[in-house]
Amino acid sequence: MIRNLMYRIPLLLITVSAAVTLSGCWNIKDINHRSLPVIMGLQHKNGVFQVWLLLPEASEGRSNVRVVSDAGKTIEGTIDRIGKNMETRVDLLHLKVIVFGQALAEKGLGDTVSGFMRARDIPAKTLAAICDGELEPLFDRLKSSTSNNGIEAYNYFEKNAGWTPQVAQTRIWQIYRSLHSYTRDVAIPIIKPGRTTTLESTGSAVIKNGRMVARITPDETLLYNLFNGQGAQGRIEVMDHAAVQILTDRMTHQSALKEGKAVLNSRLHLKVTVLETISSPTSDRIRQELNELLTTRFQRMFRELQREEADILGVGQFFRARMSREDLRDWRSDHYPHLLINFRVDSIIENVGLLNTMGP
Amino acid sequence: MDKSSQVIAMYLLVHIGLIFFTYPADVIASLSVGHWSAILLGFACHFTLLGIYTKGLSRFASQNLIDIFRGTGKAFAVVLLFPVMAYLFMTMVVTVRVYAEIITVVFIGNTPIWSVMLLVVAVCALISSFGVESLFRTGVLVAILFLPLLLAVFILSFQNADWRYLLPLIDERSASFSYVFRRPYLLSQFAFAGGFVFLGFIPSYIPYERRKVVRASFLLLPLFLISVYIPLLTFGEDTAARFQFPFIMAVDTVDVSWLMFDRVTVFFMISLICFVLLYLSLAMWKTVLLLRSGIPLIRPVQANASLAAVLYIVCALIPDWESVERLLGWNLFLLAYVTMVIPLVTFLLGLRRERMGAARP
Amino acid sequence: MDLLAFLKTRQEQDADLFLHRMFVADQSVVLAGFKSLIDLPQTMMLLQQQARNTVASERPLFALESGIGTCIRDADERRVMEAISEGDLILLPESVPLCIRIVPVNRTLTRAIEAPTTESVLRGPISAFNEDLDTNLGILKKLVVSPRLRTRSFWMGSDVRRHAVLVYMEGRIDPALLTAITQKIESNQETDVPDLMALTRLLGFPKWTLVTRYNTTELPQNAASALSKGKAVLLLDRFPFAIVLPSLLLDMFFADNDMNFPLFYAVSFRFLRMVGVLTNVLLPGLYVALVSVNPEVLRIEIALSIAGSRSEVPYPALVETLLLLLILELTLEASIRLPKTIGPTITMVGGIILGQAVVEAKLVSNILIIILAATTIANFAVIGFHNATTVRLGKYLILFLSAVYGLMGLFVGTVVLCAYIAKVSTFGIPYVYRWRARDRNG
Repeated sequence: MIRNLMYRIPLLLITVSAAVTLSGCWNIKDINHRSLPVIMGLQHKNGVFQVWLLLPEASEGRSNVRVVSDAGKTIEGTIDRIGKNMETRVDLLHLKVIVFGQALAEKGLGDTVSGFMRARDIPAKTLAAICDGELEPLFDRLKSSTSNNGIEAYNYFEKNAGWTPQVAQTRIWQIYRSLHSYTRDVAIPIIKPGRTTTLESTGSAVIKNGRMVARITPDETLLYNLFNGQGAQGRIEVMDHAAVQILTDRMTHQSALKEGKAVLNSRLHLKVTVLETISSPTSDRIRQELNELLTTRFQRMFRELQREEADILGVGQFFRARMSREDLRDWRSDHYPHLLINFRVDSIIENVGLLNTMGP
Repeated sequence: MDKSSQVIAMYLLVHIGLIFFTYPADVIASLSVGHWSAILLGFACHFTLLGIYTKGLSRFASQNLIDIFRGTGKAFAVVLLFPVMAYLFMTMVVTVRVYAEIITVVFIGNTPIWSVMLLVVAVCALISSFGVESLFRTGVLVAILFLPLLLAVFILSFQNADWRYLLPLIDERSASFSYVFRRPYLLSQFAFAGGFVFLGFIPSYIPYERRKVVRASFLLLPLFLISVYIPLLTFGEDTAARFQFPFIMAVDTVDVSWLMFDRVTVFFMISLICFVLLYLSLAMWKTVLLLRSGIPLIRPVQANASLAAVLYIVCALIPDWESVERLLGWNLFLLAYVTMVIPLVTFLLGLRRERMGAARP
Repeated sequence: MDLLAFLKTRQEQDADLFLHRMFVADQSVVLAGFKSLIDLPQTMMLLQQQARNTVASERPLFALESGIGTCIRDADERRVMEAISEGDLILLPESVPLCIRIVPVNRTLTRAIEAPTTESVLRGPISAFNEDLDTNLGILKKLVVSPRLRTRSFWMGSDVRRHAVLVYMEGRIDPALLTAITQKIESNQETDVPDLMALTRLLGFPKWTLVTRYNTTELPQNAASALSKGKAVLLLDRFPFAIVLPSLLLDMFFADNDMNFPLFYAVSFRFLRMVGVLTNVLLPGLYVALVSVNPEVLRIEIALSIAGSRSEVPYPALVETLLLLLILELTLEASIRLPKTIGPTITMVGGIILGQAVVEAKLVSNILIIILAATTIANFAVIGFHNATTVRLGKYLILFLSAVYGLMGLFVGTVVLCAYIAKVSTFGIPYVYRWRARDRNG
């Protein structure tokens, strides 16, 4: 036993040291020899992909970013070429946001996104966004206004940082899921360089099977988020008479098939608090107006979506139990456009803030 | 002294290591609706065979499988146990290769596969050479260290679940069990079958209560369900079917913003791989045991080292993923043999012994 | 008389040996012993007193039953020298061919009972063992007031002899363990035991091991509770520690002193120590794995800050870590031997000046400094210095594996360490065994 151990331990040591010395030849690169892009911009023009990368400069005490770009036939090939020309290796492991050009989104994101899912270096939870207009000014803006290694754009979408419910939050895996799902599409936020802020959202793009088919406004995006249960807390709703803040939201749905026609009864339960009033409305009035406003806004958005046959709300999900798989396959074209949705809002004004009167 | 907890820990770890990588993809590939029926069917088979096997073993108080079969005749034992050894070896080859592939694909893209396989084989040889007692104790230690981590990840993995993907619950295909003899479903049985053979090799100085182990197998059921249903609930069936390792993909979508680590799931996957290491060590120990009962002259250390060397060489000779799949296919026959014949024979021998024992006094 | 002649020749080689002629109750006797060990005037006074008593009760002075001392039968040179070197007084009457061994008044060669110097107690008995075997045994007996306590005395070694006492509690200790220990000691009684390594060999434990099979403790309280749990305690003369057999993994985390606190605190202390061990073993490896192989696991903010702090460090993370670890280990090793007055200086030089300068000079990243400081602090959260040393080595295996295989190596290294720990056993009792105190009488 003792002798066994005596030669087992040296054996182990030899193995380990051999492994360590051999490790020199597998290009293990320390973190400071890698560039970790935070944001990638993608545009497709004239059969050529254009790639922008926002790279934080790793140096102590300072936070600089730089933007590199190149163009080529494939995305990976272009990134590779950028890396070849740089003094560090480009590692997409930490990519946080991918900004697609509008032209690319309209042409279709399917291949691109599938490629991202196949190669493991881009994380599946990378956020997606679509740029309103050219990408060049956006990256210029990001570069000039950065103070924090370029993480701002990421924080803009991050739930525990600067995200607000008027901005859609969609990740690469969700786009990939929508490519292969019969009953679910996604909305991708549209951004552009802001006038005073770094970024500004101008609504969301409706993506059907990977292609951008329409856009919705920020207010409608809020409804989209509410519908998907993305707790729209802290959102300020402006009306003629007041501004309220949503405290909690809850959706209930009832699906039915009536004479082959899909019917969905949806109810949005809101609890709000009053923030600001103009010429003392009653709380009943505020509630009523809120309900009406949201309902009409929802109906308008939904009709538009039905016209485009894009089910970003995932309404089809509620009919999974009522339809066969074959029927679901044609959900977007056969059933969805004729779907009858009864959308109702039930709001409760939970409190009126620190003042006990509604008026001035 | 009762060492059931060690046996149970080992039993659980071995299976957990096997469940989460290939099993979900196989089940999702074998049917498109009502996956629970496939899982429950597999589990029911597992449970029955486990019950039969341990029942048979319990009739031979302090003997292991080799002693039991030897008791009926040497030729009988050789004929019965040789396929077991072949199965163990094949499984080791395939497992080392598959997991080395997973490791290089998922965590360390720059490291060549031969060095990963070297690490895996070397560590397994080391652990199995320490003997079965310390192997079991290692199992307990590893369980204490890693299981809380796994539990946390299981809870987190529900983050993106959309429960509506549960529906529809059943269709004709899943109700009629027509998928049973299809290749993906049969391949999925690896997760059920690979593990429990070791119960027959446990020496008498590790006593355990059969009932506790059988009861502990119920702990596996939720894990089987989770492994298949997390990807289904996250992606939906059509998307999940496109992944090679659906569970890993599903866990990869989990976003935890309050931790200092970004991809928490890497820790989860590596702990699973550590469990697989234990499984391999166990298989290696069993093979050495069989080898030594066949060739009594060989010394344990030699047997261990040469087995590891052969294993490593065979693994290194496999050129690509396709050959791995082919090997998996061949191994199915051995798998069926080991999971069906061995428990049944053990049970029958046990029955015979009981009858003889009842007739004698 | 040849014994006397022998002692006389011996005296020429050994200046410490005295041969003192005196009269005890009108009989001429020669006293022999070591000056350095025996307080002669006191002893002589005592002897006279005893002799007077014996004469007064009209008993023969040198008869066996007179009670001056014990008679050495068949006294030969070896036995007499043994008795003398053990510190006893030899009395040789000139009239009768006898050799009597007397327990003398010893010189005080032992420090008083003091507070422990290597372990500290916050709540609990503070007195510590010292070099005197009898004192130690006495303290122990004071703590374990029980009729079950048994002691067995051994003299070990042939050239240099050493007194050892095995203490255990009848009915608590596993008889198999007891026989194993006594057999080992008895069969190797001729082995000299200058140090614990020799003791390890005597008890038949492997030399090349990362885990010591016994615990040493300076606190009688720990030894006492080990006894009542059914472990064996070995006391060596001139060794101010009790050796507790066997040592178990949980001894690293469970101090007996914990039980002087409410259970809630006790549990949390123990948990903290476990976290400490894990931190110490895993943290350097984790750093290397994350920095050089798996940076995708870090959050981007941390990744960038590490990359920034490492930006001008010229060598790979493994070398960086090894360099700093080496300096830390040197500091630790040096501070053990430093006089107490210089200790703070080294702390300042090592900690502040060196740490600051090394970062300023871009030799290592400042995050590594934080990590290694945490590692070193965590190292000493475990109980007992020997356990801290046990833990210290494990991290290097993990460090190397992490440098090659990243996080995978970190975890595999952990499994290997677990397997090694699981393999170790002492007299058939596994190191990872959860020891339960039980009564073995029933």
